[in-house]
Amino acid sequence: MIEASAVLEEIRKNRITHVVGVPDNGSRVLYEHLRSDPDIQVIPVTREGEAFALASGLFLGGKNPLVAIQNTGFFESGDAFRGTAFNMGIPLVMVIGYRGYESMKSGSEPVDTAATFFEPTLNAWNIPYYWMLSTRDTGMIREAFSKAAATSLPVAVIYPGEMI
Amino acid sequence: MLDKYVCLEKLASRRRDEIVITTMSVASPWARLSDGPLDFAMVESSMGQAAPFAMGLALAQPQRRVILLNGDGSTLMCLGSLVTIAQNPPDNFTMVITENRTYEVIGNYPIPGSKRVNFETLAVGAGFAHVQTIENENEFDRNLPLHFESRVAQVFIWKIKPATEPVPTPTPYIRERARRLRLALAG
Repeated sequence: MIEASAVLEEIRKNRITHVVGVPDNGSRVLYEHLRSDPDIQVIPVTREGEAFALASGLFLGGKNPLVAIQNTGFFESGDAFRGTAFNMGIPLVMVIGYRGYESMKSGSEPVDTAATFFEPTLNAWNIPYYWMLSTRDTGMIREAFSKAAATSLPVAVIYPGEMI
Repeated sequence: MLDKYVCLEKLASRRRDEIVITTMSVASPWARLSDGPLDFAMVESSMGQAAPFAMGLALAQPQRRVILLNGDGSTLMCLGSLVTIAQNPPDNFTMVITENRTYEVIGNYPIPGSKRVNFETLAVGAGFAHVQTIENENEFDRNLPLHFESRVAQVFIWKIKPATEPVPTPTPYIRERARRLRLALAG
């Protein structure tokens, strides 16, 4: 289990100014915490691709955004991710919910293709990623920021299940 | 109908320290008028994403106006961004939709809905407080100052004649242009 309050604390430690994305069942509680945080502006977008363009503009303007979406939205974002955050060299951290992870692990049929497509896509696009499996792993967000800063490229933090 | 080259010249003549984001068939003509660090051609990027990109800049730089010159085809490709912008409207944001009803850089192939779509209705419906369609040069001259002065996020639709601009090829590459823009904004 991942406690959203611990994720929020890590986001605050990394001095995030804006969280951009689309909430899902995995991130809903986190978004609720974020909406009540006076220091972080939440910007919902209508499709996840917008999040990468918007966050890229925020970063070039001097802010420190984070993208929070589900893996399905990551697939939707393909060209926007490539053409904005990646091509512009934005050290952007994206927290991505791993929909279908449990179905894939249990071997049940049918397996959610949102899960089976996910890591191969991250690897195909050369996106470094860190696992956040429980509250103890929230420090991976910090690791991701270090990696993003070192490479001037986007880095993912992926997590299964629903934050509580 | 407006001549986009005349409109761009007039816009450039009034422009001071605003960020200007361009796309597709406007990118090259604008670069011939102005090509400094605050001019950002949203090319080698992702068609349709200039609007949320410009919104991010406007939110991050509230003291500086951001003028987005977006094609009609580009606007259609990320139509939801009108809603995204209108829900958190930066006061310093001016969006121009250059409406020629074609994908000009591929030889003026018609955009979807080219005979029916109404961009003013779309922008109003998305929630923009100020939306204006401009169809002739007198209207353009009258409204030009507003492009720089309005205190609400706004959309202007320029009804322009199709021209024959090729696919833009700005230099340097987009990563360097982004770095240049960030440095300029950092002061």
